[in-house]
Amino acid sequence: MKRLAAWAIFIFGMAYFILPLIGMVEFSLSMLRGQYSFEAYRVVFADPRFSQTLSYSVLMALLTIVFGALLVVPTAFWVRLKLPEWRPVIEFVTLLPLVIPAIVIVFGYIRLYNTSSWLPLTGSTTGTNLLLLFGYATLSLPYMYRSIDTGLRTIDVATLTEAAQSLGAGWVTILARVILPNVLVSVLSGAFVTFAIVMGEFTLAALLDRPAFGPYLQLMGANRAYEPSALSTLTFIITWACMGLIQLVTRFTKHDKAPR
Amino acid sequence: MSYLSLTHLEKSFGTLRVVKDFNLTVEKGEFISLLGPSGCGKTTVLRMVAGFELPTSGAITIAGKEVTDLKPNQRNIGMVFQAYALFPNLTVAQNVGFGLKVKGTPKAAIDKRVEEMLSLIGLPDLGNRYPFQLSGGQQQRVALARALAPKPSVLLLDEPLSALDAKVRVSLRNEIRAIQRELGITTIFVTHDQEEALSMSDRVVVMHEGIADQVGTPFDIYNRPSTRFVASFVGTLNTLNVQVLDAANGRVKLGATEIALGRSLPSGPVTLGLRPEAVTLGQGNHDTRLSATIREVDFLGSVIRLRADLAGQPIAFDTFNNSHAAPPEVGTEVTLGLNAADLLVIGG
Repeated sequence: MKRLAAWAIFIFGMAYFILPLIGMVEFSLSMLRGQYSFEAYRVVFADPRFSQTLSYSVLMALLTIVFGALLVVPTAFWVRLKLPEWRPVIEFVTLLPLVIPAIVIVFGYIRLYNTSSWLPLTGSTTGTNLLLLFGYATLSLPYMYRSIDTGLRTIDVATLTEAAQSLGAGWVTILARVILPNVLVSVLSGAFVTFAIVMGEFTLAALLDRPAFGPYLQLMGANRAYEPSALSTLTFIITWACMGLIQLVTRFTKHDKAPR
Repeated sequence: MSYLSLTHLEKSFGTLRVVKDFNLTVEKGEFISLLGPSGCGKTTVLRMVAGFELPTSGAITIAGKEVTDLKPNQRNIGMVFQAYALFPNLTVAQNVGFGLKVKGTPKAAIDKRVEEMLSLIGLPDLGNRYPFQLSGGQQQRVALARALAPKPSVLLLDEPLSALDAKVRVSLRNEIRAIQRELGITTIFVTHDQEEALSMSDRVVVMHEGIADQVGTPFDIYNRPSTRFVASFVGTLNTLNVQVLDAANGRVKLGATEIALGRSLPSGPVTLGLRPEAVTLGQGNHDTRLSATIREVDFLGSVIRLRADLAGQPIAFDTFNNSHAAPPEVGTEVTLGLNAADLLVIGG
């Protein structure tokens, strides 16, 4: 009886998540009346704005990942090594993007860095791209930091650092050759979540007026019927591919095959 | 001039003085052990030599060069840690070659040195393995090879055997000592295990509450402890309170027996120390005879440890197992023999 109840809950849960997806995919395939086709996908792929916004967002996502890793790995490492008493404060700060809406952040940026400010970043494309990059890094901070901090918890950071120091290594060598390779899986899992966030983000990109994939999705959703479903399906596939990659990387990391 | 010298080293954490006026000189190629209970400051001294802790005051000199303020990666010191600290992402060979790679040594030279080191530790075929594929003893051997590969000026061993099981511990300590002798590398070994310290070292530093209580050869430390702490911490020691009859001539009374120690005694109450192996059952060839009552008999196989009551004070001593003579039973009155010269005067 218990087993039956467990199965019932499981099936209900799966139906709750999967049925809307099936509905969405089915709808995206129904553009031509009376038959299933990839017409909506063809239209989407034929739209030059799709490839432009997608490639822009992919590039921004990759830059955000690099910037986030360069910011978070040394920070989390240093906090764990030298400032453990500051960990709760840093954790709190990294959680702030979850409670401060993106719109507040972007208005703050616009107010601080507008063309009449002391640092007019919004006055140029590069400056605005930079602001968007910082914004994305801020939004992904809770996930990136938590992921890397968890990774650091699995290794003896202090002893490994001292061992490397005693062998003549400086801080850059320690971070690049000892710490980063040992938390690479965590960095990658943080990176893929960041990728997924950037690909779907609307507020920052729209208000900074950048040609990102999020605003494009919104635009299509407001004006078309079938294409938004096709785009959403594609977004899901990209996100799931990211999740799959996390699993693959974890599986193929040789030295991670046993607990340390 | 000594190779490594620690002069008036002090270390405080906040208001807590962990190391107090620590002085030590080490000759080139010497094997020194820092021995003491947890919290005595021995690891802090080692970490100051390594550069992981900065002394509050004092100086550290290696080969005539002051290194007190140098960063750890500038000291050319090899260190082996209790937790192995092998880099999990690198193979055994890469771990051993890490220090050389950091120095920018050519690859061919690294490969040659790694091969030498792996042969030295007896693991020539395990270069391609990852640390998690090795046993604890093998990992610690690799850690030793890694520390030695860049030819450090001093080797520091921070309780490297503590995480290993008893059998591996004994074999590895012999190996470490043999390798140290072969390379002639100046070594400081931190341990709380007196057997390790006594068996491996040229000299032992017994530390107590941040102070070097005594520095000496294992023989001196064991047989001529200079403080009450050293006497009680190193080996098993019976402590006997005696009545001083004549301090100048060293005559004391233990129970009803008068003992002539043959040396002058300090003023005030005196406690004598006596190692279990200095006492025999029956007088034998000893100059002093005492009566005692057996209270406990522990049969340990080749050795029997007996505990007796000697003039109201407990005394433990050992006797070899004799298959033809059973040990005395509890409650038996026995005669104990000892030489007055074996009695250590350890203060009041």
